[in-house]
Amino acid sequence: MAPNRRTFLAAASGLLGTALLGTSGCGTRGSYLTPEGTLSLWYWNRSISDTLLAKTPKATGVKLVPQKIGGDFKSKFLTSLAGKAYIPDIVGLNEDVATYFPDADQFVDLNEIGAKDVKSEFLDWKWERGVTPDGRMVGFPMDTGPTALFYRADLFEKAGLPSEPDEVAQAMSTWEKYLEAGSTLVKKLPKTYMMPNVDMVFNQALAQQGKRYMDEKNHFIGNGPQVRQPWDLAVDAYRRRITSNTNDWTSDWNAAMSTGRVASFVGAVWMGQVLTDAASGTSGKWRVCRAPGGAGNSGGSFLGIPKSCRNPEAAFKVIRYLQSPENQVVYGLNEMQLYPSAISSLEDRRAQVKDKFYGGQVINEVFATSAKAVKPVYLSPYDNVIGPAFSDQVTNIWSAGKNPDRAWKDALAEADRQLSHLGLI
Amino acid sequence: MTTTTPIAAPAQAPEERRTTGSHAGRSKSELLSLYLAISPFYILFAIFGLFPIGFSLYLSFQNWNGIGAMKFVGLAQYQFMLSDPIFWKSIVNTFQIWFISTIPMLFFALVIAFMLNQQIRGRSAYRIAYFIPNVTSIVAIAIIFGSIFSNNFGLLNAALEGLHLDTVEWLNTPWGIKVAIAAMVIWRWTGYNAIIYLAGLQAIPTELYEAAKVDGASLWQVFFRITVPLLRPIILFTVITSTIGGMQLFTEPQVLVGNGGGPGSEGTTMVLYLYQQAFINNQFGYGAAIGWGLFVIMILFSLINWRLVQGAGNRGSRKGVRA
Repeated sequence: MAPNRRTFLAAASGLLGTALLGTSGCGTRGSYLTPEGTLSLWYWNRSISDTLLAKTPKATGVKLVPQKIGGDFKSKFLTSLAGKAYIPDIVGLNEDVATYFPDADQFVDLNEIGAKDVKSEFLDWKWERGVTPDGRMVGFPMDTGPTALFYRADLFEKAGLPSEPDEVAQAMSTWEKYLEAGSTLVKKLPKTYMMPNVDMVFNQALAQQGKRYMDEKNHFIGNGPQVRQPWDLAVDAYRRRITSNTNDWTSDWNAAMSTGRVASFVGAVWMGQVLTDAASGTSGKWRVCRAPGGAGNSGGSFLGIPKSCRNPEAAFKVIRYLQSPENQVVYGLNEMQLYPSAISSLEDRRAQVKDKFYGGQVINEVFATSAKAVKPVYLSPYDNVIGPAFSDQVTNIWSAGKNPDRAWKDALAEADRQLSHLGLI
Repeated sequence: MTTTTPIAAPAQAPEERRTTGSHAGRSKSELLSLYLAISPFYILFAIFGLFPIGFSLYLSFQNWNGIGAMKFVGLAQYQFMLSDPIFWKSIVNTFQIWFISTIPMLFFALVIAFMLNQQIRGRSAYRIAYFIPNVTSIVAIAIIFGSIFSNNFGLLNAALEGLHLDTVEWLNTPWGIKVAIAAMVIWRWTGYNAIIYLAGLQAIPTELYEAAKVDGASLWQVFFRITVPLLRPIILFTVITSTIGGMQLFTEPQVLVGNGGGPGSEGTTMVLYLYQQAFINNQFGYGAAIGWGLFVIMILFSLINWRLVQGAGNRGSRKGVRA
C-alpha cells in the first residue's frame, strides 16, 4: 500500500504542479520546484530578512531560490514530506522542532556536515533544542525568545512601587514578590491590573523551568514540581484578582496596553514589537527588567535540511551564512527584530541601542542577560499534545471558577488519556 | 491518467461523426471520445474526492504523525474517540451554535424578504446591501466581531456599561462565546437567505395577494396565511442548507477564539476539533477517525431532516397548498 500511495500522490501532485505552474524543464528530478543546480529554501514572512536572502547567492556561491510560504507553513511542509514531492532543500522549523524528533531520519544530521565546528558560537540551550536525545541535529539555531518583565514605570510609581529597572528587578525577583506587588498595585489603583491574564503566569513560569512534561526517554514527568509550581502561582494570581482577563492576540489586549488598564506583563523579546504597535501612544512610559523567577525562553525558530536535499553541503553553507553572528545582528535583530542566538551578537555594539519607547533604556542588556541564563530543557515531541491538558485547566480555573484541585486532577487524567492514545504508557 | 490521450482524441472525432448517424451503432472509438469528453470531471473527482475519502478511511485505522511510518492500530482511534469528552463537547457545541444562529437567522431573512417584496423605492440597493455581508472576508468579520465582543473594551460591553448594566466577559464564558459565534453566522447569512426567500416570494402568483386585499386581509394575515405556507418548500431548502453550513462551522470560531476553541473549549466545533487534532497535534489517524464520526452524525441528522421534509411535503399536498 505505502509505495503505491506515495507514487500516486507524487504523480498526482506532479500532474497538478505541471498544469498549474507550467514548469517545463524539470528534467530527471521532477519532484523539485526549482531548477536543477539550485537550492530551494522555505521560510515564512518575517523569519529571515529578504535583503539578506537577496545577498546570499553572491556571498555563498550557491544558487538559492527562497520561497516565502504563506498560510499554514507546517501543514504544507508535512504535506510535501508525506507526498515525497517538492520537498524544500532548506526549511524553516518553528519552536516545536521537537515534533520532528521521532522522524529525525527524514533530516540531514547537521553535525555530520560541519555544524559541530560552530557549536561554541551559539547559546548552548538553544543549540540543544535542535538536537534529539540520541544526538542527531535536526535544527540549526535561528532566533530566540528570551523573556523579561515589561512594565509601565509611571503606573508603578503611582502605586508606590519601585519604578527603576534595577529596583524593580530586585523587588520582584520572585513570582511571589511580583504577585504581592500586584496586590498592592490593584489596591492603590482601582481599574488597573497588574497583568493581562492568569495563563501568562503559568506559561511564563513554566518557560523558566529546566524540565517540562517528559524526560529524555519520553516518560511522563508532568506531575512534578516544575509544572506544579507554575500551576500554584497561576492559582495564586487568580485568587488575588490582579489580572484583567484580557486574552493575548486580541484587540482587547492592544486596548488594555494602550489605555493603561494593564501595568505589566512577562513576555518574550518579540512581544516588544507587538507592544510598540499596539500602544504607540504610551511611548516613553514602558521599561523592561529581569523577569520574576529568572530567565526563560518563549518562541524562536530553526533551519533544517530534509534528507532529500540535493546538496546538503551547499545547503549548510547557506544556513551558516544566514545565521552568522554578524548577519544575526545586522539583518536579524536590527532589521527584523529577531533576537540572535549567537553569543557574540548579543554583546555586539550594534545591538546596544537606546530605545525611545522605553524611555531611552538599552533594553538589549536585559534580554542578553536573560538569553544567556536560560536553562537547557528537553522539549519533547509530545509537549504540544500534553501541554494543553494543563493550560486548558488553568483557563478553566479563572474563566469558569473551577476548583483548582479538581482542575489539577482533571489535567493529570487528561494527560494520562493522551499518553495512552499516543502509546507511551 | 496520462496527458497524451486527450490530445489525440479530438483528431479522430470529426471523422467518426461523418460515418455514423444512428444511436445504436456507435463505434468503440466514438464512445471513447465521448467518455474522454466527460472524463475531466471524473479524473478530478477521483483525485480530489474519491481518493481522499478512501484514504481517510484507511488512515482512521492507523496511527500517523504525518511524516514517519504508519502504524496499524485497528479500531483504537474510534475507541478513543468515543471516550473523548472534547469530541462529544464539540458535537454539543456545534448543535448549540447551530440552534441559536439558524432560528433567528431564518426568521430575520423571511421578514427582510417579505419587506423587500413590497413596492418600495430603491429595492435593488437594499438587496445588494443585504447580500454584502455574505461576500465580505470572514477573517475581517471575525476581527470586527472580536472587538464588538471584547471582554474589557468591547463595543457591546461599553453599551451595557452605558445602560448601567453588568458587563459580560463574552469571550470567556460558555454562552458568551457561542453567542458571539452565532452572531457572526447570523450577520453573514441572513441576507443570503433573504435573497433566496425573495426569489421564492416572487414565484407566488400576485392574484393571491390581490384577492386577499379585496377580501380585506391584514398584512399579518397575508404573511401567515399566504406567504409562509406557499414558501414552505423554500424554507425547507434553507433549513437544509443552513444545517449543512452549521455542521461545517469552522472559520468563525477559529479566527474568533483560536484553534483551541477558547476557554473550556466552548467554541470548539466538530470540524475545528478535527482540524486541531490532525493539523495542530499531528494526529492524522485520529483526525480521520473524527471525520468518519462526523460522517455518521451527519447521516443521522440528514435522516431526521429528510423525515421532516417528507412529512411536511405530505401535509402540504394533503391540504392542497403546494400548487
